[in-house]
Amino acid sequence: MEYVAGMPPIGLAVTKDLERERAIAALFDEHHLPLVRLAALLGADDAEDIVAEAFYQLYRRWRRLRSADAAAAYLRSVVCNLTRMRIRHLQVVRRHLEHGLPPIEHAASVEVEAVLRDDQRALVKAINDLPSRQREALVLRYWLDLRERDIASAMGISAGAVKAHLSRGMASLTSKMEERT
Amino acid sequence: MTGHSHSTEEQLRDALDALAAEVRPTPGAYRRARADWRRRERKRRLILAILIAVVFGTANAVGLWALNHSDGNTHVIFSDTPVRQDPLGRIGQP
Repeated sequence: MEYVAGMPPIGLAVTKDLERERAIAALFDEHHLPLVRLAALLGADDAEDIVAEAFYQLYRRWRRLRSADAAAAYLRSVVCNLTRMRIRHLQVVRRHLEHGLPPIEHAASVEVEAVLRDDQRALVKAINDLPSRQREALVLRYWLDLRERDIASAMGISAGAVKAHLSRGMASLTSKMEERT
Repeated sequence: MTGHSHSTEEQLRDALDALAAEVRPTPGAYRRARADWRRRERKRRLILAILIAVVFGTANAVGLWALNHSDGNTHVIFSDTPVRQDPLGRIGQP
């Protein structure tokens, strides 16, 4: 086996690369669909691209990962950040475009809402109108059933801020649903 | 308010579940994603290698240019010029 001082042997590096590929393939199998759904629920128009990017970030930083268990939380956090950035980017693009163009629809709201009941459609519309942070907190809490501490780590904010987002978001949804009835 | 909020929570869970159930990824996502990671990783490594080569080459060129322009008779470390000693060996003027 060839060995260069200060570097791992080539055989060892290849074995580590194979291990990484295998571990990421297993993670992809397990988490790809939930993450695509999460990105779609958060309002991404290109949920699969966002999740593929999140897996690439994981692929690059694999050796710096604390443990394989931390990978799921890391992926969730990257998907949240990338979706937020994507929505912000679309808002900026939208602001610079001429008036008269159709509004940017959330991907899920265009094709998927047809299968929802009326009340669900109204609720989804109300969620789409919320600020992105409140929407993120609500999706992570009520769809993924995460604890406040995990939501805080996924969103990169404090647990107190998560509580505030959840309470404001829920109050806004409740008042909109009451107005409707 | 609590009752309404509770019912909104249930409705929210149902709506999110229904919305999520309709999202399906396209087949072959892993193959496509892996090909993309590998392509980007190769590109990143190539750019890094080129950057290192450029920095190394520039540093070498600057060093060679500096050596080429220096005076060959001036020694930086050792000088042949004797240091003049004070014949009286005094430390300084009183």
